[in-house]
Amino acid sequence: MPYYIGDVIKDPNSLIARTPEKFEETGIRVELGTCVEGIETDKGEVLLAGGRRLPYDMLVVGTGAKATLPDIPGTTQDGVFTLKNLRDGINIKEYIRGNMCRRAVIVGAGFIAMEMSEALRNLGLETSVVYRGELPVKKWDPVFSGMVLEEIANNGVSFIAHNSPVAVEKGSDARLSLVTDKEIIETDIIIFALGVRPDASLALGAGLATGESGAIRVDSSQRTSREEIFAVGDCCESYHRVSKKWVNIPLGDIANKQGRVAGRNIAGYPMIFPGIVGAQSFKVFGLEVAMTGLDEKEAQESGYSPAGRIIWGNPVARSMSGGQKLGLKLIADKGSGKLLGAQAVGQSGAVSRINILSACLWSGMRLDEIGYMDFAYSPPFGGAWDVIHTAAQILEKEL
Amino acid sequence: MNRKLVVVGGGAGGPSAAAEAKRRNSSLDVTMLERGDFVSYAA
Repeated sequence: MPYYIGDVIKDPNSLIARTPEKFEETGIRVELGTCVEGIETDKGEVLLAGGRRLPYDMLVVGTGAKATLPDIPGTTQDGVFTLKNLRDGINIKEYIRGNMCRRAVIVGAGFIAMEMSEALRNLGLETSVVYRGELPVKKWDPVFSGMVLEEIANNGVSFIAHNSPVAVEKGSDARLSLVTDKEIIETDIIIFALGVRPDASLALGAGLATGESGAIRVDSSQRTSREEIFAVGDCCESYHRVSKKWVNIPLGDIANKQGRVAGRNIAGYPMIFPGIVGAQSFKVFGLEVAMTGLDEKEAQESGYSPAGRIIWGNPVARSMSGGQKLGLKLIADKGSGKLLGAQAVGQSGAVSRINILSACLWSGMRLDEIGYMDFAYSPPFGGAWDVIHTAAQILEKEL
Repeated sequence: MNRKLVVVGGGAGGPSAAAEAKRRNSSLDVTMLERGDFVSYAA
């Protein structure tokens, strides 16, 4: 969606995988603009706004996630947005065009905030990111977060650290002003990108169990605590194959897979969703940023004794790299030597390394195995010893 | 009577579930409900 707002993607329809008409052609009824107010599990009915009732034999709950808005005055004004669904994206783009916005403020510094900062700069807006902490994308090692900060700063984004919003007010020389605990920032548009929370309210109302994450509890068939009700996507939990815990990681690729698994089980073809390893990536200006698995703190909380190490290498053979650097951090368990997590940042080659390391996590590989794994070597794509080999070998010695 | 499947939510997971269930078992009576004005979109 940030690519649509930033005009990299021109047509919002290209973001739609399948239109309601396509669903209808395959015999699936689609009702848009239809709010579900409750699930009556004893009768097997969903209760719709306006009092209509719809009977079901089986039900799928895919209620998604809700964007977090801070509890401060003024957030209902025109020009204040969150970014969660396609409608939000279209509204933001239309608002910027329709009001000829020149200045934008993004509150929050996660990966959506970073993607949005690039999108808004692409549109030529003066863009500030306001964040209560010190560095953006705090899930990554501070060294890598520092590189992300440098990248956005080099591209004209001003990063305003250690500022917490306290109110949104009318501006004096711009439409709005964001009042923080330290400053007043005048702006034409404010986008709150403070993350999302699973929307489990309908499920809770129906008495379905939720997990520690606040998301709907499911088993590997995507069944909830009631046999005839399934849950999929951002509203439910997923089994994390490294931490061996049920977690909520709201990403579209996971939702698609869980949906298909639920669909098969509903149709009578049993299938298991095998879980996730927490792989994710984003691009910000000229940087690829990616991670998979656990960081040291999560590893500790999952009962491992982790050790981590950052190694600097090249995305391609050094002779062809033109000085491009690739930072790779590996985290492994001191006891077993198993890989627990990885993070990478560079102008190129970061995501491809993280994909490989996700497969290593998936199958539970140790560093000594990863250090000699066979890759598709050729100088334009990596060194004879890839940065993955080097990092695995160095960290293994230190365990 | 065909068995009734109701899908609440049309973002990504819901549409995948509806499509796969219907594909595998065409006798299912499938209805997908979405509060917004789009289904099956990439965020």
